[in-house]
Amino acid sequence: MKKTLTINVAGSVFNIDEDAYYRLKEYLEKIKVHFSGEKEIDDIMTDIESRIAELLREKINSGKQVIILQDIEEIIKIMGEPHDFGDFDKEEKKKTYYHSASRHIYRDPDNRILGGVCGGLGAYMGIDPIIPRIIFIVAFFGFGFGLLIYLILWIIIPEAKTTAQKIEMRGDPVNVSNIGSFVKEEFENIKDNIKGKKKT
Amino acid sequence: MSEMNLENVKAQMRKGVLEFCILSILSRGDAYASDIIKRLKESKLIVVEGTLYPLLSRQKNAGLLSYRWEESTQGPPRKYYALTDKGNEFLKELNSSWSELVEAVKSIYNK
Repeated sequence: MKKTLTINVAGSVFNIDEDAYYRLKEYLEKIKVHFSGEKEIDDIMTDIESRIAELLREKINSGKQVIILQDIEEIIKIMGEPHDFGDFDKEEKKKTYYHSASRHIYRDPDNRILGGVCGGLGAYMGIDPIIPRIIFIVAFFGFGFGLLIYLILWIIIPEAKTTAQKIEMRGDPVNVSNIGSFVKEEFENIKDNIKGKKKT
Repeated sequence: MSEMNLENVKAQMRKGVLEFCILSILSRGDAYASDIIKRLKESKLIVVEGTLYPLLSRQKNAGLLSYRWEESTQGPPRKYYALTDKGNEFLKELNSSWSELVEAVKSIYNK
């Protein structure tokens, strides 16, 4: 038994296995990163999604109602990975674009006790979040203003919501390969969580 | 390194020809992306479909193509691409320079 999700691709609804969904999502994010900075990115994405919807429809029949991972792999093979698209105008631009991504401070929703402020500070400074946590606790009990500072930081620091923001929080440049590995990592986490829940 | 250059040259060659072929296909009648893809795949001009979409968008932005949405019997509306007047002029130019190129290459190749 597998859990399925319902997705809307270019106006068509599909039931899709969870692993297939993450593979497709990772693929589309990669394409988006590949075309980022292009004026026509919205048009390109619309066209690609429409084509993917068409290919997905071909995978569905009365006996098979759910898109599985194998289907997505086949579709990706047809569409191709971004580095096989072979558009030369971009080659140079791309490199500089990716490396300009710098480290930003965000609250870390995956590594938090209260608001993820210390988790984010830790990721930003490349240290274990336990260090800012201890400093805040000491400042709270020792001097009394730790909580206030924490609350202010909680309000002013944005939360890392998208995959790209989480990568920026760690200080890695956002590019096609690390967005891929990051999405995979997140998916593994979710899988582990599900397994963990089943056991308990 | 020489292999890299070969790939580069091959891809550059294909890219120019590809743009020419997209316009040629559309000159015979409006088509939606999947029609164009089918034709290009049949003639083995593209390997992966992703190659086509950025080209279509750029040609559209350059005013060579326009598109409209059309209802379809199978599934949601389709985006039909059509050649504009500017695209037609462009294609004429490309046609003549293509013949010139073929002649030039032939004359050198056969010597």
